[in-house]
Amino acid sequence: MGDYALLYILFAPFVGAIALIFVSNRQTMLVRGIAAGSALVSLLASLYLFVTYDHVKAGFQFVQRFEWSRQLGISLYLGVDGIGTPLVLASSILLFAGIFVSWHIKDRMKEFYIWLLILAAATIGVFMSLDLFFLFFFYEMSVIPMYLLLGMWGSHTKKYNEMTDPEGLKQRDSVGFIFNFGSNSKEYAAMKLVLFLSAFAVAALMGILLIYKYAGLNTFDILVLRDQAKLMNIPVLGTTLDKIIWILIFFGFASIAPLWPLHSWSPVGHAAAPAATSMLHAGVLMKLGHFSIIRVAFEILPETTRELMPIAAVLCMFSIVYGGFVAFYAKDTKYVIGYSSSSHMGYVFLGMAALDYISLTGAVMYMFAHAMATGMLFAMAGWVYDQTHTRDIPSLGGLSNRMPFISGCFVIACMASIGVPGTVNFIAEVMIIVGSWNKYPLQVIVAVVGIVLTLAYLFKMMRGLFYGPMDQKYSHAHDAVSAADRLPLMIMIAVSIGFFFFPMHLYNVVRSGVDPLIAKITRVVPVAQTGEGSGVRSAASATPRTSDTPLLANNPSPLTPDPSRGSE
Amino acid sequence: MTFALTITSSDLLLLLPEILLTSWLCLILIIDFSFPQLPNEQLAYFSIAGLVATLGCLVWFDAAGITGTLFANMFALDRMALFFKMFIVGSTILVILASIDYIHRFRFFRGEYYFLVVMSALGMMFMASANDLLSVFVTLEFSTLGFYVLVAYLREDIASNEAGIKFFILGIFAAALLAYGISLVYGETGKLVFSDMTTVQASPGLVIGFLLIFAALGFKIGAVPFHSWIPDTYHGSPTPVTAFLSIAPKGAAFAILLRMFFVALATFKPVWTLLLVAVSILSMTYGNIVAIAQKNMKRLLAYSGIAQIGNVLIGLATGTKMGSDAMLFYLLTYLFANLGAFAIVIAVSEAIGSEEIDDYSGLGRRSPFLAFSMLIFLLSLAGVPPLAGFIGKLYIFIAAIKEGLYVLITVGLINIVISMYYYLIVVKKMYVNEPRDRSPLKVSGPIKVVVYVCLAGTLAIGVYPQPVTDWVVSAIMIFSNVADPTASLPIPPAILPFGG
Repeated sequence: MGDYALLYILFAPFVGAIALIFVSNRQTMLVRGIAAGSALVSLLASLYLFVTYDHVKAGFQFVQRFEWSRQLGISLYLGVDGIGTPLVLASSILLFAGIFVSWHIKDRMKEFYIWLLILAAATIGVFMSLDLFFLFFFYEMSVIPMYLLLGMWGSHTKKYNEMTDPEGLKQRDSVGFIFNFGSNSKEYAAMKLVLFLSAFAVAALMGILLIYKYAGLNTFDILVLRDQAKLMNIPVLGTTLDKIIWILIFFGFASIAPLWPLHSWSPVGHAAAPAATSMLHAGVLMKLGHFSIIRVAFEILPETTRELMPIAAVLCMFSIVYGGFVAFYAKDTKYVIGYSSSSHMGYVFLGMAALDYISLTGAVMYMFAHAMATGMLFAMAGWVYDQTHTRDIPSLGGLSNRMPFISGCFVIACMASIGVPGTVNFIAEVMIIVGSWNKYPLQVIVAVVGIVLTLAYLFKMMRGLFYGPMDQKYSHAHDAVSAADRLPLMIMIAVSIGFFFFPMHLYNVVRSGVDPLIAKITRVVPVAQTGEGSGVRSAASATPRTSDTPLLANNPSPLTPDPSRGSE
Repeated sequence: MTFALTITSSDLLLLLPEILLTSWLCLILIIDFSFPQLPNEQLAYFSIAGLVATLGCLVWFDAAGITGTLFANMFALDRMALFFKMFIVGSTILVILASIDYIHRFRFFRGEYYFLVVMSALGMMFMASANDLLSVFVTLEFSTLGFYVLVAYLREDIASNEAGIKFFILGIFAAALLAYGISLVYGETGKLVFSDMTTVQASPGLVIGFLLIFAALGFKIGAVPFHSWIPDTYHGSPTPVTAFLSIAPKGAAFAILLRMFFVALATFKPVWTLLLVAVSILSMTYGNIVAIAQKNMKRLLAYSGIAQIGNVLIGLATGTKMGSDAMLFYLLTYLFANLGAFAIVIAVSEAIGSEEIDDYSGLGRRSPFLAFSMLIFLLSLAGVPPLAGFIGKLYIFIAAIKEGLYVLITVGLINIVISMYYYLIVVKKMYVNEPRDRSPLKVSGPIKVVVYVCLAGTLAIGVYPQPVTDWVVSAIMIFSNVADPTASLPIPPAILPFGG
């Protein structure tokens, strides 16, 4: 395996998807076998990747490069650093788990697995792309499978099912138009998701094209652009070019994260999606946003990032509080988990905004931890839905008698989601809070309130689903008993708890990716203040600082651009 | 001006593909008249054989680098002409294959159908080589002549007749504009050959003349505001003819547009860039917005075609070599996606007798193959990776951003999102909605071949575009000095090796 690990991880699901095309839908076990087999190859390779990633050496490892288009300066350039590695692992764990979660799909199972595999592979592709073009390529590629997965195997909301048209009891066929606010159908959710993400993706593409043009290097190679592109101090439209690019990239990618006011597609999409899709969607697809911002904005525009990242610090508060409150009042299990995800993604933004070694490491670890926690929650919400055919919390209750295993796992998943000690989420949350305290005390307080809110709505949902009186019509519901049903939950629980007790490798790996990044962003202090003429260049090659002291102490107002800063 | 028509055998060699196809054309007609009992398929395969031979001849020319000009520069055979000829012949082959099952709808003159299709193809092959305003006029009318008949081929169908009349009247009008424009340009400059016009001075007559010529060519490619014939004609024509009309004449007209703007008018680049930017923005926006409201698949594809042409015009508006490379690339991706989509429209309409989008409901259950292929083609038209259309759009945008056409790119990017909506509505009908009738659809062999070829093209170009980009870059080599005034300036060494 060795050097080709990334190719195995990326292409195993694609090969599996292609192989599935030639299999008949009637050969159920063969279909499942191919899907699970290709996911297993991907999982084993990414375990190998995670274990053998050399955090002492750091930097981009397992690099693969194939020239793809000479004229456009594009190559298929793959490589992972400490930030990509755990996310690749999370994706392949969730893919493998997702295959088993959707084990009992009856309608067009083959097609379901094909699109699921393509979705996961595209997501994995983003986490390992070192070429801006391919980053966008895989990013866009992950959107369309979502449409089909939601449209074909998704479910309508209760509100939609109760809707009638003026003449009779026939259900409306929703066009799925983005302005059709009254509709809650799965088609609407799918169309809204695709249009929303595409619209913001093209904004990010505009940013990428601007980087390409103004760097003038005729390449999309992120590492070359990082080291050689000179994008600072080009006046455009009354501001500077780097700010415009940064805003386009940040909001373009933050829409999938989803940052508060761009979040509205996300809970609707979660609610409509089948369980495995929700898992991948909330578990890893949303992290594409954070990851792409780190990979593109942080790497290529470090100085602008330092200047403008407070935007994220402001918006993340709204994300946390708004998501938390809506989740508390939502009555649909998947809405609760969906809004809780978008609320929790606010923590990641907080960790990123603080631009601190500890907080960014915490943010990346939180992405990993949240993938497991939310994956479990969605898997079990999906199980409950499959058994009861409703997601309406008030009409459910007392299911713990019928499904003790599921309700037991659900408690653990809630603990993980809240960040109770014993799960890796705790470590990550504490790191975010500790790391950003010096810079953003208000946001940290909000985040702590958010944790309390999380506790409130998850326990409320848990009580509503599993305890209290049970409606007799659900007496046929049964527990997850077979190994195939229990396996995905067991894997995710094991990962979540395991990394609490043995977090050091994860921490070291992430830290090795975070260190050079933060060093570059924070040590490039304005020329006027340091008197050094070559801040950028020297910082890139300098050894990273390892202390977690507040790094911007000598730059009290990062919001105000310093007019005296010249080009390096 | 005197013509010394001393044609040598080496000159005739340059015309070999056209001569081959002309003689084949006569053979088709003779065979059709001599053996009236011959099954139509035989004649179709016979036509395809001739076209394949022509294609082989063109490939040989391209590989051997046989180029040159004839008849005092009226006929230019360069690598760009060869590209467009292959483009036209290739699309004609696919169209004839797709017609084989459709042909039973014609009550009369089934044999002549193939004759007319091949005749139009021959006209367009000449168009690709037209290097002179006179030959532009003659070849353009020659190729359109066949289409006037083809569009109205469903004699019993009112819509087809209406389409024929509309196309004929507007086509004649465009021809008149073209003739008038040519006379103005000739009157002002005394020149007809594009490459002689590089030194002309601007004058009102010249501007009006070229605007009229542009209007006539804009009619051919269906760019807003010269698009009004497109929806009805596309809707009414026999579907294979629509498919043919939607791709081949556009390619041929773009060959002329490239010669006109990049050679004859190279010095006026700042002026015509504005014109093309305006036309491109109008085409993309109008095409995409109106396509949203369509209920008929052919009309949807017609409007989406208008929008796609707007995208191609971005490449022309850049006025650089890279822009023209991107245009050729885009046209190739459009060829596969568009012909594939029309092939599926033909297959569905053969099976269920309808072209309404509502009747595509549940296609994913009735024929997974057709639905999946349609999904791929529509997504390629929308520009979704990893399909060819995405690379084509990106190539064009990269060429445009290098020229700083930010407004155009912004509009183009927004239009991607708009177009995604109506393509996905079709996808939704096919996959999400349940069919009214669950019986599986039967797809005939020739259509399957067309769909497989188009699928292979769409996926292969999308996954690995390098061979195609190399091809288009070398095909456009002829303009490298004329079109890019900065080419002689010192260029940073980092850019030179990439040829763009």
